[in-house]
Amino acid sequence: MPHMPLVRALRAHLGTENVVSAPSELAVYDCDAMTIERRPPDVVVFPRSAKHVAGAVEICREHDVPIVPRGAGTSLAGGCVPVGGGVVVMLTRMNRILEISLRDRMAVVEAGAKNLQLTQRLAGTGYHFAPDPSSQMASTIGGNVATNAGGPHTLKYGVTVNHVLGLETVLSDGSIVQLGPVENPAEPDLIGLLVGGEGTLGIVTKVWVRLTPNPQDYRTMRAVFNSIDDACRAVSRIIAAGIIPAAMELMDHAIMTALEEAFHFGFPMDAGAILVIELDGPPVGLDAQRDRIVRFCHDCGAREVLHAASPQERELLWKCRKSAAGALGRLAPCYLTQDGVVPRTQLPEIIHRIIEIGRRRRVRLVNVAHAGDGNVHPVMLFDPRDPDEIKRAMAAGREILETCIDCGGSITAEHGIGIEKIEMMDRLFGPNDLKAMRRVRESFDPTGRFNPGKVLPDKVAGTLRVPSACSGGGERGSRAGEQENRGAGEQE
Amino acid sequence: MVNDYLPLTDTIAPAAAADVAEAVRDAAGRPTPVYPIGGGTAMSYGRRPAEPGLGLSTAALNRIIDHAADDMTITLEAGVTVAQLAEQLAGRRQRLPIDVPLSSRATIGGVVATNTSGPRRFAHGTLRDYVIGIRAVDGEGNAFGGGGRVVKNAAGYDLCKMLIGSLGTLGIVTQVTLMVRPVPETTALVACDVPELAAAERLLAALIHTKTLPVAVELLAGPDRGTGGVLAPIREPNIARLIVGFEGAVDEVDWMIGQVCKEWEEEGIGAPIVVPGDAAGAVWDRLTEAPADVQVHVRPGAAVETIERLLAFDPGCSIHARAGDGVIRATFSPQAPLTASSCGELRSVATPLGGTLVVLSPPEGVELSAGDIWGPPGGGSVVMRALKERFDPQGILNRGRYVFG
Repeated sequence: MPHMPLVRALRAHLGTENVVSAPSELAVYDCDAMTIERRPPDVVVFPRSAKHVAGAVEICREHDVPIVPRGAGTSLAGGCVPVGGGVVVMLTRMNRILEISLRDRMAVVEAGAKNLQLTQRLAGTGYHFAPDPSSQMASTIGGNVATNAGGPHTLKYGVTVNHVLGLETVLSDGSIVQLGPVENPAEPDLIGLLVGGEGTLGIVTKVWVRLTPNPQDYRTMRAVFNSIDDACRAVSRIIAAGIIPAAMELMDHAIMTALEEAFHFGFPMDAGAILVIELDGPPVGLDAQRDRIVRFCHDCGAREVLHAASPQERELLWKCRKSAAGALGRLAPCYLTQDGVVPRTQLPEIIHRIIEIGRRRRVRLVNVAHAGDGNVHPVMLFDPRDPDEIKRAMAAGREILETCIDCGGSITAEHGIGIEKIEMMDRLFGPNDLKAMRRVRESFDPTGRFNPGKVLPDKVAGTLRVPSACSGGGERGSRAGEQENRGAGEQE
Repeated sequence: MVNDYLPLTDTIAPAAAADVAEAVRDAAGRPTPVYPIGGGTAMSYGRRPAEPGLGLSTAALNRIIDHAADDMTITLEAGVTVAQLAEQLAGRRQRLPIDVPLSSRATIGGVVATNTSGPRRFAHGTLRDYVIGIRAVDGEGNAFGGGGRVVKNAAGYDLCKMLIGSLGTLGIVTQVTLMVRPVPETTALVACDVPELAAAERLLAALIHTKTLPVAVELLAGPDRGTGGVLAPIREPNIARLIVGFEGAVDEVDWMIGQVCKEWEEEGIGAPIVVPGDAAGAVWDRLTEAPADVQVHVRPGAAVETIERLLAFDPGCSIHARAGDGVIRATFSPQAPLTASSCGELRSVATPLGGTLVVLSPPEGVELSAGDIWGPPGGGSVVMRALKERFDPQGILNRGRYVFG
């Protein structure tokens, strides 16, 4: 056991039951939902309190090892893969909902509380936590904070950062600081930096979230189009008319096929694409808005627009959309979800080019999109046993993101940079922009110990081990192969 | 006017971000302070700087670079006034739903630097919810930026957030990209007077479960000293006025007015004052323009208790609260003027409930320290100082004005 002194120190601080170091158990923490990059940690700890976290941070400093926070591990960009080894801090046992104050329209939760858990706790109060990533059944609020998670309804309600009022976070010096929940004009918006910081700036232990009143009523519809082009044009048309629905989701033919096999929802199997559009608010204004949307859809060639006639039908429609990822398993053994974003008018163009890229690179891909935000999620399907197929899928993903940049967009809207997109940061940002971001990181964490090898395209500093997978350059596909050849057993 | 506040040796008005960068580089070489100047509408906010330095006006950075109307975004230079921006957006029935006083002079760069917000923040939030891209110049003259032109972006650290509200001390903002919103069809306000603050709290608590969607929840108390008589003076035996604002389609707003009146009736409120459509504009303006001596932030549920404490401290105090957000703006009476010694006392009165207090505008001739104005350092002070050391190692950006000294 090469890490015995470290393990002993952690056990002494957190208790033996909260420290895992057996290699067989560590493998569980070697990747997130992007499974093609793996590296197990050396130790995993399960803190029960911010003090536990702070102590673990101090111990990691003494032993000069990296420290990587982790929630449910549902992230899609490799953000919680411990690429430099070290200690993974699992926040899932810090999962209490500490306070719900409707009067303040605020809830206080520990970082490991699940998004869904909060949603359920709020049932019947008339309020909800607005960010609704597809992972919400499993993902933690702390994880939502780390990635600045979005979801379908962020079109109207905004992403996680718009709903975070305060944070308790452990800094790299082991101090526990509280920011917010009450605004302080005498402090720059550090909360806004920590949200989306992917665990590189601090380990968030507690979150004060804004609660949003539940809509009184919905109009949820499903517009069927012969071509994906028509559907995209309808989206642009609706936004350009100044209508911001609560959600506007695009699904292409392939994903519909997979969903149909899984759920028998009655999708028209010869359609090119569908849009799920939802309006919400007081009932009085909704029908007029819906009628305008229906007209725009028909103007853009919609074949039919069906309305969810009951809350159950609405539920089912959303279940379908949120199960899209799960249904993909029917199409291929493995897949890679991309997360590009373009100015909303560029949606038809980017979808067109994504399809072309898939065709040219011989990659099977399907498209779902938070269309109203210009946020595309092309999903590249592949067989992990075929190295060439992996390589092609990776190359297609990269070209798609480059195309998003060329269209005036960005390489991630809600998944984060992680390790997956790290090489594209200097394509998106100039040297001074990256320098500014480096300064932000150093200001929070001068030691470079928090989640090294993520977000910024820098080599992992100091004595930390740098695996080939994050040392920059080359095609990621070959790396995935390398990773496989190295095998799960290899450890330092 | 600007010269009354800032000890300027010279003022330049660069017409390009590169010229801003060059001027700052030059100043850093000497080194001499650089004071960014927008519309000069918030000169009294922050400490009055003592050290002579260069005025850097954004007046010539006044171009609207790209109004991507169909994307509902706009990219503009920092010196564009809020009125100019509003006019451009109005052409496409769009707006930035942030209320800004003195909008014909206030610049978007200044609004970002001071994180200005107004009554509609209750529904529409603050600038952090709208600035999606930013360009700035740091204290060494490097032009840098973050974000982009998309409405959702998780790439890298959100430098927009860092620059909002930091008074130009971490970077001089040269350009921003904003997400904008459609202009609502109509707007209206509904107001009622109450004889005691406990009644105001009951109404505010009841609003938590309203079926309506207010965009503003304002509470006025004490003598009117700056709100310009919103609607009419509050008459005895009443002591406070609750004002709720609505926006939306005509039938929607009509319905919400009726609904809130019904809900208030159940709380024992007789005949609320309704300010519909056209007349509402002037009231919104007064709610937006009202100046104040100090601004207190507390949890929304502690707003009324804080107002009670402020009124106990100075019974002649004029209160204008964005009660739904826990933002309380107070102007003190001549009997209890703001002084260096009263700041500390006031802070202990107003913020025992985990709140913050900042001085917006010290009275003429009153010299306040950074501590008086901004209060004690918060949880983020170590990180803040580290940011300052890196973005402005010589401390030349707006020296003396913000918490960094």
